[in-house]
Amino acid sequence: MGTVQLRQCAQVIDSGTEPVHVIAAAVNGDVGAFERLYALFAPNVYGLCLRLTGQREAAEDCTQDCFVAAWRALGRFEQRSRFSTWLQRIAIHTVLARRRGLRFRNEVAEPSAGMPDLADPGADAPPLDVERAIAALPERARHVLVLVGIYGYSHSEAADTLGVAEGTCKAQLHRARSLLTAALGLEE
Amino acid sequence: MEDPKHETLDELLAKLPHDVALPRNLWPGVARGIKRRPRIMGSFAFAASAAMVCLVGALLWAVLREKPAERSDSATNSQTLGFDEPRDPAYLAARTELEKSFRERLAVLDPQTRAKIEASLALVRRAHEEIRQALADQPANPVLERLLQSTWHDEFDLYDHVVRGTQPTMTRS
Repeated sequence: MGTVQLRQCAQVIDSGTEPVHVIAAAVNGDVGAFERLYALFAPNVYGLCLRLTGQREAAEDCTQDCFVAAWRALGRFEQRSRFSTWLQRIAIHTVLARRRGLRFRNEVAEPSAGMPDLADPGADAPPLDVERAIAALPERARHVLVLVGIYGYSHSEAADTLGVAEGTCKAQLHRARSLLTAALGLEE
Repeated sequence: MEDPKHETLDELLAKLPHDVALPRNLWPGVARGIKRRPRIMGSFAFAASAAMVCLVGALLWAVLREKPAERSDSATNSQTLGFDEPRDPAYLAARTELEKSFRERLAVLDPQTRAKIEASLALVRRAHEEIRQALADQPANPVLERLLQSTWHDEFDLYDHVVRGTQPTMTRS
């Protein structure tokens, strides 16, 4: 895909709308169009997967699996929700499914492995400690914090997506915030 | 940069970028996955193949007996199901043919049996549609995916049972 074309798509996303023509072409089986969607949305999906898993390699696997699953499910994509939101939900299910599989095979890796590369060392980048502290949170608390605290899901949406009760979601967020506040030495 | 200790947790979280640069290009792996797992799932393709075999068998049987099965106008009213998973033209043609055959056989059954079959079919289709709608909100939910496949197969099984169960019985001349 050309740089200009990609930039145009990125501008469309930035302005709050989505590249509907590219999405429509992908829905109709155009692999090239789907590759453009990958180029546009992969950083967002990867960011979400990285924070949910706390592991770089797992996040790469989940991002890849997410796009394969998205291709397979594209025929069912309806314009009721934004494509980015739809893709994020697939990413979350992919992470949860992978986690269940690893737990079944007793292959759960230590969280925060590979995290040093997470934050971009630019001037406006968040302190790496924040990312490390999030990665070190207990899994369920981390999932809720990532969805509600970072990606702006409502408790209802997060609870629905994670398959837990809304009250559990709120309790896990409270737990995550308390642990993070202590880990980062912030004032209560 | 501001001292993190003087910031609130919400401020720190709000600073986190949603997009994170990928350490490597994952597209080649995605492209391989797409080729390995085409839109039509393996089980769907298998069901389509089974349906095609069943249909061909039924047609062959009718030809060999040199007595076409009774037909009904309802056969021409067979409608597309509107399901959006399989898009392969060969698959869709096979499914349409199977449904046509099913409609033909259904038309010759007694009204009571026909009503029961149609009620079962409506139930399966309603369940399938509700699951499909749920999947629009929860894409790639593994439980819903399995349920969707299940109802899809249920519909196929219903067609298959009716077509098989109404095949003309073999007689000696």
